[in-house]
Amino acid sequence: MSGNWAKLPERGNLTALRLIHWITLHMGRPAGRALLYPITFYFLLTATAARRGSQLYLRRVLGRKPRLRDLFRHIHCFAATLLDRLYFLSGRLDRFDVRLFNDQLILDQAASGQGCLLLGSHLGSFEALRALGVTVKHFPIRILMNTEHNQGMTRYLSALNPALAETVISISGGPDSLLKVQESVAQGCMVGALGDRVVPGEKTVQCRFFGQDTPFPAGPLLLAALTGCPVILFFGLYRGNNRYDAHFELLAERIDLDRCHRQEQLAEWAQRYADRLEHYARLAPYNWFNFYDYWAEDAP
Amino acid sequence: MEALSPFELDVARLLVETLHLEHLQPKDLQPEDPLFGEGLGLDSIDALELALAISKAYGFQLRSEDKENRRIFASLRALSQHIAQQRTR
Repeated sequence: MSGNWAKLPERGNLTALRLIHWITLHMGRPAGRALLYPITFYFLLTATAARRGSQLYLRRVLGRKPRLRDLFRHIHCFAATLLDRLYFLSGRLDRFDVRLFNDQLILDQAASGQGCLLLGSHLGSFEALRALGVTVKHFPIRILMNTEHNQGMTRYLSALNPALAETVISISGGPDSLLKVQESVAQGCMVGALGDRVVPGEKTVQCRFFGQDTPFPAGPLLLAALTGCPVILFFGLYRGNNRYDAHFELLAERIDLDRCHRQEQLAEWAQRYADRLEHYARLAPYNWFNFYDYWAEDAP
Repeated sequence: MEALSPFELDVARLLVETLHLEHLQPKDLQPEDPLFGEGLGLDSIDALELALAISKAYGFQLRSEDKENRRIFASLRALSQHIAQQRTR
């Protein structure tokens, strides 16, 4: 099932993150990056579910059976962005080369004072963009996040930048969180959300994604429809060394759903999102950070 | 089965209409059943959609800061009582 990610243990990640952080603090980023190799190797050997998820994805995106080297590169890419997250969180963007594509879109949106939905994914690093938006540009950004998953990691990262942590709206399942989102958008905030992982029990729409029917969450698009705000897509791709590419695209000025064709219209918008996600995943294949059986291929 | 008060029936109609629960008859809703999770099984998107419909129909805003939200949204009865107290139209 596609809700598998919620069950993956995260303790190992946190231990590794703490270790990298300590090394980086005391010995600098090159030392931290050197350490990524043994850490990647360790995860490659021990994180069997994540390795399997990587394998299934890489087979699709590369169009061939992935080699060990590909798996290594995939996990290494994830670990590298995790290391950089520590820098982004502490506001140290100076050492990075972030290239912006179509950033006029986001600048215009900010200048308009109107709220919008920033729809991202687990492709690449959303932290790079969050840091850029909040710390450098001082955009009014709020992030809608599932903080119940991965609590240890969330707490650790929050402690690094409490001000940034305060911009998080945590998904509670009750009535509060999305009311908060709606109020934030109405006040002119940009609300960020990731649209590629389905939480068990949530509403979904089927999209064609990497050649297979795949459920995508309907929530972010419904949210945009209910608040009547534009939807801007963003992808923060890690391109090696200290380089990130940040892409922005307008998905919709406004999502209008009519009562009778709601499901079909939602599916159309979701398909556009899925198409762009696939496009960028093919552009930067090792940036795919959904390390689980995304297409439910191993399910009985 | 417990009968709904006339106002609860109004709110039940709004709920069924707003959330596209066409398979349900408003009069068959149980006033004390939970709206979220078990019971009606609404999720947070439904909650927002319902909150927006309520503000449109009854002329007051439900707020995210309200500490009572969980209680207000606990059941059709609780929600109806809250609307009855707060409505401006």
